[in-house]
Formats: sequence, structure tokens, C-alpha cells
Amino acid sequence: MIYCAPPASALLHQPLDAFTAVFHRSSGITHLLVPPAPQILATLSVEGLSRDALLERLRDEYDLADADPLALTARLDELVAAGLVTQRAARA
Amino acid sequence: MSDAEAPDDKAGNLAPDGVPTRRRVLVLGAVTASAVVSIRPALAQTAGSVMTCEIPVPDAGRAGSFIADDGSVVPAGTQGAYPASGRPFKGQEVKQALAGGQLPGTTWESNRAYVNYIRRLQRGQGGFTCFASLQMPRG
Amino acid sequence: MRHRFDVRVGPVGFRIGADWRAPIAQLADLYRDYAKPADGIPDFTVRLTATRPWRRWIRPSVAITGDYTLPEAAPLPLAQGLLAAEMAMNLQMALGWRRHLLLHASVVENNGRALVMTGESGAGKSTLAALLAAQGWRFMGDEFALLDPDTGALHPFPRITSLKNQSVAAMAAIKPDARWGPLLAGTPKGDIRHLVPDASAISAMDVAAVPALLLFPRFGFAAAERSVPASEALVRLTQASTNYTALGEKGFVALTRLIASVPAVAIDYPDGDTALALIQRLMR
Repeated sequence: MIYCAPPASALLHQPLDAFTAVFHRSSGITHLLVPPAPQILATLSVEGLSRDALLERLRDEYDLADADPLALTARLDELVAAGLVTQRAARA
Repeated sequence: MSDAEAPDDKAGNLAPDGVPTRRRVLVLGAVTASAVVSIRPALAQTAGSVMTCEIPVPDAGRAGSFIADDGSVVPAGTQGAYPASGRPFKGQEVKQALAGGQLPGTTWESNRAYVNYIRRLQRGQGGFTCFASLQMPRG
Repeated sequence: MRHRFDVRVGPVGFRIGADWRAPIAQLADLYRDYAKPADGIPDFTVRLTATRPWRRWIRPSVAITGDYTLPEAAPLPLAQGLLAAEMAMNLQMALGWRRHLLLHASVVENNGRALVMTGESGAGKSTLAALLAAQGWRFMGDEFALLDPDTGALHPFPRITSLKNQSVAAMAAIKPDARWGPLLAGTPKGDIRHLVPDASAISAMDVAAVPALLLFPRFGFAAAERSVPASEALVRLTQASTNYTALGEKGFVALTRLIASVPAVAIDYPDGDTALALIQRLMR
């Protein structure tokens, strides 16, 4: 499974406090995100990454306290449910 | 990225010239935790007084039907179901019923059926906006 | 419509028509110092109509219709026709106004800085606004705050205020020369009277103000105060807005800019005097 972020122009970000407010233009919905969700969105691209590739990227860019693939899956599922991340099958 | 705090920096990498850098800490969180909240503004923030709206049971289009225990709309005369309410209920009456009171003119059983009907209201059905606005705190 | 009255409140022009003379006469009296719609063209039309033809005379019952209508709005007795007209105007704004982000809040201004008060029914938004106005603050409205999505300023919308019984007595004592509408007993909001804003508030109804403080008051508790984090303020204000979703991106930008630039505080207060003292200190 490949997880894709929307193009940068699709979202408006406003950091507030611990939360970041994100406006998704195509749906018109406002979401409030806490870490690691904004960081996951920033690391994913339009082309997308597999969960494991994303985990590696996050480890490179951050001091990842709990590099647990299941936890990352949970975060990705949330973002998909919110419509902020889309998924597609990996190309052979 | 400060190069002053190196020796005990557990998060530190060493850059090629030996100067330590620090990456920001990131926590993925528990599987059951949540990192995304979608704001769902109330559907019916009508500033006209909520208390004066009305909810017909069932809505006008199905006025001849009966209401089953679970709130679903069934054909008139269905065994164990209740006839439509004679008059629409006011917002205040529904609010009290939702808080554990009883709708006027009902028995314990028919009240439960009507309240279940109201809880199951969908957008587009008569009384939905009224019901939605009752659910939302408003000033 | 047999009887008609046009009025402009801030940027919004209304035409109110009715099957009966009495509510129109009451509106015309209470709004007599207000302006008329620009170029004579109202933004919204409201109609107070009899629910059935014979209900014009027999237990007369007022149904609210207009440009925007809620089919499930319950009719009101004719004696409460003035309240019906006010609710109808609220409904038009809530469902139809797009030029500003609307927040269900009261707004008062002092020294060019506006205080926005929002909260649940009974929190005291209207009473606090009236008390501050009696102390010389400028009343800018108590039903809707109009936030300009381009400039971030608040536009006045100072309609007549509906106050409940205890507040009526308190205000009558503080401002004996104020103008009041008739006592409307047994309304869905209890016994109420409408208070007409003072002349300076009416004449300044086109003068915008910069927001300086977002206040979430709560009446009936021991005095307390806490800072409200921006994320909580955002959630509360989206809940308090009737058109945040409809405005889409403009709404998001306007509201996040408001929250980023203006502090938010929640206060609990046991009585008006305590609240006023808390507010004076916060707005210094």
C-alpha cells in the first residue's frame, strides 16, 4: 500500500499551539492535527511512500521515540479516514 | 540546530565535520491514540430560537405510518408499533425527552419509540434541522 | 404585504412585512432612529403571516417566512409578534449572510478596541453587553459579531436586545432613561423585554472596530479566569458560527487570523459587578 499526501496547494496550514489547524480545500473541512500527523503529511509526497519507507524517512528526519510500524499504521489510517491522505496499491 | 550542546545529546547525530546536530523528537503515539480531529460545525446554528422549532413524528410525508419500538417507520397497523403522534413536538419538549423525560401524550413505550425515531432522523427529513440544533450547545 | 417596515442595521437592510399592524408599529417605534436600507433595496425580506387564513383573527398565530425559512419553525401568538420579527431577522442572517463571518456573540467597544463575548444560552452575553454599554462602552450588537474576512475588523450590527426578566430589572435600575419594548410574557425564552441601544451606538453603526479580546463568560459560578488555548478557541468559535462552513477557505483564514492575533480568556462570574471588574482589568 502506498500512502500519498495531497499537493501543497490543496491544504492551508495554521499552527496554533500543540495543534495545527489544516483546511482541506477540496472538502472544505477543517482538521486539527497534533504531532506526528503534520510531520507525516510533510514527509509524504504526492507520489507517496509505503508505510515502511515512511517509517525510515521519519527515523532519518526525527528522533523517533517509538518506531512502531503498528502505531504508524494507526496514524495513517486516521489521516486516510480524514481524507487528508489517499492510498493506492503499490506498482509491481 | 545548535552545536553547543553535544556530549550528552542522546538525539545527536554527528555531521561529517564531527559537529553534532540534534533532530527534533517525534512520538508516533499509541495505536489507540488520536492525532487528527475533524471539526464538524453544527448543522443547524440557526439563531432563531431553537426552542420554537418543531419535530413531527413521523415527518409529514409519512403521516399515515406507524413507529416501531426502535424508531423505524412501519406500515400503519403493524403489530407492536405505535400510531403517529397527533401533533408535532416542540424543541423544548424533545430536549426534555432526550434528557430522560417523557414526550407529552405518550406512554412509556410509545415515548421510547418516538424518541428513537427522532434520534434516527436524517438530513432531509422533517424535523432534522430542529433535532440537530438541539444537540449543539448554542449561546 | 399589508403592513411593512424597512430598516438598516449596520450593513444589513431588512424589509419586514406582516398581516397585522401591531408588530410592524412596534418595530417602527423601536427602530425609529435607525437608517433605511441603502438605495431602498433590502438584503432580506421577512414576512409574518397567519398560519391559516382564519388565524389572522382567531387566536392569531404568526408564522415566519421570508427569503430564508425553516419549515419546522413553530408559530408564535400575535402578542409575541415583535419577538417573531426579531427571530426572523436572526434566521435570515444565520442562513443567508455571507459578507462577514458570523459569530454568535455580543460585541462592545472601548477606545477603539472591541470585546467579543460568546457562550451558551444563559452565559450572559447580552446582559454583560448591556451593562458595559451603560458604563459608556459602545454597543455593537449582541446576537451576531460580524467579522470582515478581508480586514479582520468587526462591523457593528446593533439590533434591539432581548433581555430576560431579572436582567430587565437590573438594567432599568442602571439606566432609567433607556427605551424599552413591551413586556412579552410567556415566550419560549421566558418573559422578555427588548432594550433599544442608546443613540450613540445607533449613530455609529457603520464604524468598525478592531477585536482586542475574545471572552467566554459563564454565569453563576465563583469568580475564576483562565487563558483559553488557540485550538480550544478555534473549536468553540466554529461551533458559535452559523456560516463558518459555508464561507469555506475565507472562513478558515478569517477565524485562524482572529485567534492568532487576539487573546482568548474564559471567565466564571457570580454577578454582574464581578464580571465588569474582571473585564475592565482584562481590557486595560
